[in-house]
Amino acid sequence: MNLIEFNDIRKTYTIGTVTIDALAGVSFDIGEHEFVAIMGPSGSGKSTLMHILGCLDTPTSGAYRLEDHDVSELRSNDLAHIRNRDIGFVFQAYNLLPHLSALENVLLPCTYSTHIMSGRDEKVRAHELMERVGLKDRMYNRPVEMSGGEQQRVAIARALMMNPPVILADEPTGNLNSKGAREILDIMKELHADGKTIIYVTHDAIIGAQAERVIRIQDGRVVADERN
Amino acid sequence: MDLRDSFRNATRAIFAAKMRSFLTMLGIIIGIAAVVMLMGVGNGTKKSILSRMQSSGSGNLYLTAGARSNVLMGGGGPGGPGERSGVSSGAKITEEDLAYIEARVTYSIVVSPTNQTNITIKNGDTTMSGTGIFATPTYFEVDNVTIADGRMISTSDIDNRTRNVVIGATVQTTLFPNESAVGQPIRINGASYNVVGVATAKGETVGSSVDTAIVLPFSDGEKSFGVVHNVVQRTTIKCVDPTQSSAVTTEITDILTRKHKKVDFSIQDVAAMTALLTSSMTTLTTLLAAIGGLSLLVGGIGIMNIMLVSVTERTREIGIRKALGARERDILVQFLIESSLLSIAGGALGIVISVLGSDFIVSRFTTTSITGSSILLAVGFSIAVGVFFGVYPARTAARLKPVDALRFE
Ligand SMILES: Nc1ncnc2c1ncn2[C@@H]1O[C@H](COP(=O)(O)OP(=O)(O)O)[C@@H](O)[C@H]1O
Ligand SMILES: [Mg+2]
Repeated sequence: MNLIEFNDIRKTYTIGTVTIDALAGVSFDIGEHEFVAIMGPSGSGKSTLMHILGCLDTPTSGAYRLEDHDVSELRSNDLAHIRNRDIGFVFQAYNLLPHLSALENVLLPCTYSTHIMSGRDEKVRAHELMERVGLKDRMYNRPVEMSGGEQQRVAIARALMMNPPVILADEPTGNLNSKGAREILDIMKELHADGKTIIYVTHDAIIGAQAERVIRIQDGRVVADERN
Repeated sequence: MDLRDSFRNATRAIFAAKMRSFLTMLGIIIGIAAVVMLMGVGNGTKKSILSRMQSSGSGNLYLTAGARSNVLMGGGGPGGPGERSGVSSGAKITEEDLAYIEARVTYSIVVSPTNQTNITIKNGDTTMSGTGIFATPTYFEVDNVTIADGRMISTSDIDNRTRNVVIGATVQTTLFPNESAVGQPIRINGASYNVVGVATAKGETVGSSVDTAIVLPFSDGEKSFGVVHNVVQRTTIKCVDPTQSSAVTTEITDILTRKHKKVDFSIQDVAAMTALLTSSMTTLTTLLAAIGGLSLLVGGIGIMNIMLVSVTERTREIGIRKALGARERDILVQFLIESSLLSIAGGALGIVISVLGSDFIVSRFTTTSITGSSILLAVGFSIAVGVFFGVYPARTAARLKPVDALRFE
């Protein structure tokens, strides 16, 4: 059963008279529990693709099915609900809120959920997640007080807060040194082992080699879709 | 997102930029303070005028000789000085006129004819100047003058042309500081009189006060002070039912016009003047409030401006919140609460300042009256300003596409 079905997804930007096909007809399926690496040169459309996958953006045309929803049909509130419950997004730039502590950042998705957990359970889970990403001692630090690698681990804990089935990571190690990058990759692999579906954008061929499947993108098209 | 979280977020954002938040609030602070204070001055002035008019008798009509075009500007108001000025020669109200009116009027009225003159009052070596009011017993009922000590002028005082007088409270304290004046002799313009009563202090009223006056029998005016024979300077007519005052005015005008064959007199209706004053003071208060409201408008635009800046600055934050599941409504509420809190806090400070400010005004210039309703209005207004001017920036924020907000540098 496919978790994600992309059918001829296009995204066109028009700036003045110039049109840019960021995605020029992309089709693929991704099953549950897959670990997919998306690779391609800068400007090839990887982030655009991830944003559409993550319901942060809508395609110009094409059909996107996620867990049996036709995403193109959904209204903005439903999309917000999907972003909250079904998808954990990890950005290259971490995107933590600077005025909140690490723990508060991790708890942030709860503010937008129809509280299924009690406030205490939420705190317990946030603590567990911080521990899981190895930041037990950094709960109350602000992002500026942490290294890039640590910030990205906070971002991963936040992505896991609502226990979504899918983790989308757009070059999560792009700003990190090799040690930091390895830690992130290790966490991702663990998450995969726990049953999450991971879609992981990277430039790094070594990281790509560790994925089950690599989708290569160039000029907004899929040029290769290989399984290791 | 529940409201508690929203409020915590909003206060956090406000405190994160203290100086800017304060400057934004300043517009509202000044606006609300202006509205509340100006309304206070308006209401206070209205109240004090009304209470002074009421103490001189509501439902009273003042009948004087000579036609006047303007009710309010006529002769310095009820009891005011200069009653005789501007009276056309030959025009007069006589005691017969009053008897004629009383015989024909269909409403229930009490008529109090008076003449006035300036007098010098003396007890032993102490002298003061005051007003001599020549009146009949009805004067006390009609002008709301009560007796603190002794008795009123009686009908027999009038009939027998006695020299019994009632003195005002200030006359009592000035000339008889240590004892009751009742039963004591007193000299008025050099002639000897006998005090039979002391009037209760009335405080400030429109025009001259009974406090510095002496009430003499009406008949004595002609006898001892050279008041023109058979002339009544001013007649106060009390309508027993004050709501009938305008009907009574009409009827008496008719009766007297028939007798005189022309309108050579005027009747001032305190109730009508009060109503006129009240409505013009209300207009003035509204005008003052509107001027204050303008500064509130400017303050509101300030809030909108800052909220727009804040939305731009926090575009990325909005993108992050949306990526984590915030709906449009959540973002809208977040910014609306922020603008409303700013404006409510500004409003609260404005009210505090206006209360302090009116104490200052009261101590120096005039009375003010800050009513609960003007405070309620101010609070309502500041919430409305916060919401109204917050809606546009908040909607701008709420409608940002997540991806655009996230890509914003
Ligand atoms: N908002 C936008 N407006 C115009 N062009 C855009 C916008 N977003 C992306 N693009 C263009 O789309 C193409 C793909 O961008 P992106 O998906 O960010 O590539 P990648 O992540 O692979 O580097 C690029 O040419 C980029 O300039
Ligand atoms: Mg990219």
